[in-house]
Amino acid sequence: MIGNTKKWIGMAGAISVLAGQFLVSPAIFAEGGNAVAEGKKISFDRKKGNCLACHNIIGAPSPGNIAPALVAMKSRFPKKEDLRMQIWDATIKNPESAMPPFGKHGILSEADFEKVVEYIWTL
Amino acid sequence: MKQLFRQLTAMVISCCFITAAQATTPEEDLKAFQNFYKKRFPNVETTDYINGAYSIDPVGRENWEAIEEFPPYEPFIDEGQAIWEKPFANGKTFKDCFPDGPALGGKYPRWEKEKSMVMTLPLALNNCLEANGEKPMKYKKGPINDILSYIAFESRGQITNVEIPTDDPGALAAYESGKKFYYTRRGQLNFACAHCHLQNAGMILRTEILSPALGHTTHFPVYRSKWGTVGTLHRRFTGCNKQVRAKPFKAHGEEYRNLEYFLTYMSNGLPLNGPGARK
Amino acid sequence: MHKKSVLFSSLLVWILGSGLATTSMADEASAEKVKQLIEAADEARKQAASVNGEWRDTGKMIKKAKELLKKGDFVAAAKLANKAAKQGHLGYEQAMSQKDLKMPSYLHYE
Repeated sequence: MIGNTKKWIGMAGAISVLAGQFLVSPAIFAEGGNAVAEGKKISFDRKKGNCLACHNIIGAPSPGNIAPALVAMKSRFPKKEDLRMQIWDATIKNPESAMPPFGKHGILSEADFEKVVEYIWTL
Repeated sequence: MKQLFRQLTAMVISCCFITAAQATTPEEDLKAFQNFYKKRFPNVETTDYINGAYSIDPVGRENWEAIEEFPPYEPFIDEGQAIWEKPFANGKTFKDCFPDGPALGGKYPRWEKEKSMVMTLPLALNNCLEANGEKPMKYKKGPINDILSYIAFESRGQITNVEIPTDDPGALAAYESGKKFYYTRRGQLNFACAHCHLQNAGMILRTEILSPALGHTTHFPVYRSKWGTVGTLHRRFTGCNKQVRAKPFKAHGEEYRNLEYFLTYMSNGLPLNGPGARK
Repeated sequence: MHKKSVLFSSLLVWILGSGLATTSMADEASAEKVKQLIEAADEARKQAASVNGEWRDTGKMIKKAKELLKKGDFVAAAKLANKAAKQGHLGYEQAMSQKDLKMPSYLHYE
């Protein structure tokens, strides 16, 4: 795993060298409130977070009921990092979890992933 | 010497674990599988699972029963009968390959010892065509659905009874590989078949009720409103794999054949009721 | 107002121009580098496929990366190739981690 991570860092380096020519610097961390609003949009998007396929979010249209409703997140995950890990790869905590590993498998881009964490943390 | 001893111990231990992992027989698997649904849906008769999600969804069932009054798959059955009866260029017909036809549904999938592989009905049909100098049919769309509709219709009421012959270890190995496929996570979304159709059967995914795996194989081919036509079981396998963002396998290639072998075995005892109609 | 926009557009021309200049100088080197990234991605994809662990879009990404490379869009091509390589590695890892079948705990054997 560590070896892999190193490889990714190396590859990311290669990209940024190339990207540097074009002065592209992706803004990964949007400002607080903005990130929450954008995170909500991503969470509701069927092609991205698609949280509602399985989770209920109060006030959201036609949610699924496969997984627990997304409420009282701060009491369920006192540490934001724990929530982050849950969305990153839920099988770490529960090997039989049916939840897709949104972070680990790159289902969401890194920037989108962080925004989703910000939004879900507010629920 | 000490090392050799350690290696030997390790080998013995891993040996034991492997046997332990494969200790369940197909019969035990079948019982655990069907009991799972009995426990989850105690009011559903086992034979009613042939109706898929409608066995556990009373609202959807009403709509579906209305659709079944004018079955959308009917023209396919007629077309299929014409194909079944039409002589090949050499004058022979499907009947020459399948003397017991057209009601062949209950005979497949089956283990063919001579070929050492699982034989599926569509593959057998294509083998017949090729043996008679005809072009094989495509496996997912087109005329194959006509002839499969006709055969399914003629086979209605036969009982699923897949056998895993014990005189050939290849048969059990094929079953085990299908079972492994069924419980293996794949694709970017990391789902196994079992996550949706066993673990979460009956739950709602957005607006859709996840159908139970028990009975999945009884009603193919299926007219799907989403497809606007009749499609095969392996077309559905392909669709499921794509949905979890895994690269689908070849229709009637080894992986899907073994999967069909396992999945159909899990429905042993259920009557055939194809072709079906689904949303 | 007018002055500002002239200044702005000349700045833009300068940025684009210098970008192009560096690109053409580094063209061959970049193309070779991206080609290697694409090859590595395809290796990773094949490795995943060898254990039935290939993902749906990996092959498409590699194809697209090749097209982008042909067009000279090295940045986009490299980015996509790396994404595809990551998918290949993850797909392989996913399959290998399940080498031995574990039956789900909710299935009860008597």
